[in-house]
Amino acid sequence: MQVQELVGFVPWTFIAQICNLLIQVYIFKRFLFKPVNAMLEKRRAMADAEIQDAVKAKDDAKAMKAEYEQNMQQAKEKANEIMSTAQKTAAVQSEEMIREATQQAATIKTKAEKDIALEKAKAVNEIKDEIGSMAMEIAGKAIGRELREEDHEQLINEFIANVGEKS
Amino acid sequence: MDVDISGARVLFTLPIDLPILGELAVSETIVVSWLVLLILTGLCLWLTHDLKVEKISKRQAVAEMLVELANNFVVGNMGEKFRYFVPFVAALFATGVCSNLISLFGLRSPTADLDTELAWAVIVFILITRQKIKTSGLGGYLLDFTKPIPILAPFNVLSEIATPIGMSFRHFGNILSGVVINTLLYGALALASSKLLGLIPGVVGAVLSQIPILDVGIPAILSFYFDWLSGLLQPLIFSMLTVMFIANAAEE
Repeated sequence: MQVQELVGFVPWTFIAQICNLLIQVYIFKRFLFKPVNAMLEKRRAMADAEIQDAVKAKDDAKAMKAEYEQNMQQAKEKANEIMSTAQKTAAVQSEEMIREATQQAATIKTKAEKDIALEKAKAVNEIKDEIGSMAMEIAGKAIGRELREEDHEQLINEFIANVGEKS
Repeated sequence: MDVDISGARVLFTLPIDLPILGELAVSETIVVSWLVLLILTGLCLWLTHDLKVEKISKRQAVAEMLVELANNFVVGNMGEKFRYFVPFVAALFATGVCSNLISLFGLRSPTADLDTELAWAVIVFILITRQKIKTSGLGGYLLDFTKPIPILAPFNVLSEIATPIGMSFRHFGNILSGVVINTLLYGALALASSKLLGLIPGVVGAVLSQIPILDVGIPAILSFYFDWLSGLLQPLIFSMLTVMFIANAAEE
């Protein structure tokens, strides 16, 4: 079998090897780098999209949280307002009620006092009358004759007045 | 005992005879190169079929790793604008490694033939020159030879030509030395075992001395350096130099 030089230059082999390398470059480019790079690019795009989505979701959540907090704050304020209004109203009402009650009590008291005074005056008058007639009777009996009321009215009244002053 | 170290065997010749190129002889180098080409193409197709974006297979992970490695190697050393060089550098490296390691299967490495490395180096040289002309224009490229002083022009031309020659011979020398040393070692060990076992008297010795028992195992140690280490390192150096030279040509 024919053998080539150990260290030599064979033009055909040289040309063939140039062609082989160029074919290899094309094959690598077409069948390895193109599909894999495209796939990597796709995955990168997907990852980017996912990250963007996540960022958006986070922003949304933040906005929602802020809104919620604001709502909570408003609700709290409202509750406080209602509470203080209620307290104020209650205070006013109770004051009113107390005042009314006091007034009523005072009215009742004055009326009772008036009644008492009236009753007392009535009783005094009655007693005066009684005492007058009793004195007449006693005096009549003592003098021995009947005193006429009409005649001695003056006297009697003086007496009673004196008694009244003393009593 | 004959130990024969020769160039690639010519498997067949085609009846094409051109004036300068000579007769078209298809040698072992060419046929094994085709085999390398087929292996790498098959590997590419196997690695990249059924690519998915999510839930990738181990096979796809390897493909992605290799592609990313090549991308990072080229873009990291040359910059983003040289991304289109990735397939070229990857092909250079993969073909080199595959050509070197195919000797492990008992075939003759295409890289043990100077034509192979020379072909690669010439392509690299053309790319370097193209890049230089692109960077500084044809006039600027030619003017560069007269720097720093015009009298150095011949030496500058020489150093320019030395680039592809140096690159090709570095790779070729490493692989060929492996071939030579392995052949010598196999021959020497066969001879040693034949003499050693021939000491046994009678028919037993005569039969055993025909079996090169020492050839088993021992060459593997040297093969580790010459086939594996050189086989992986030299293509790396070749690719690295390619990348560096082209990147340098793009500067200034």
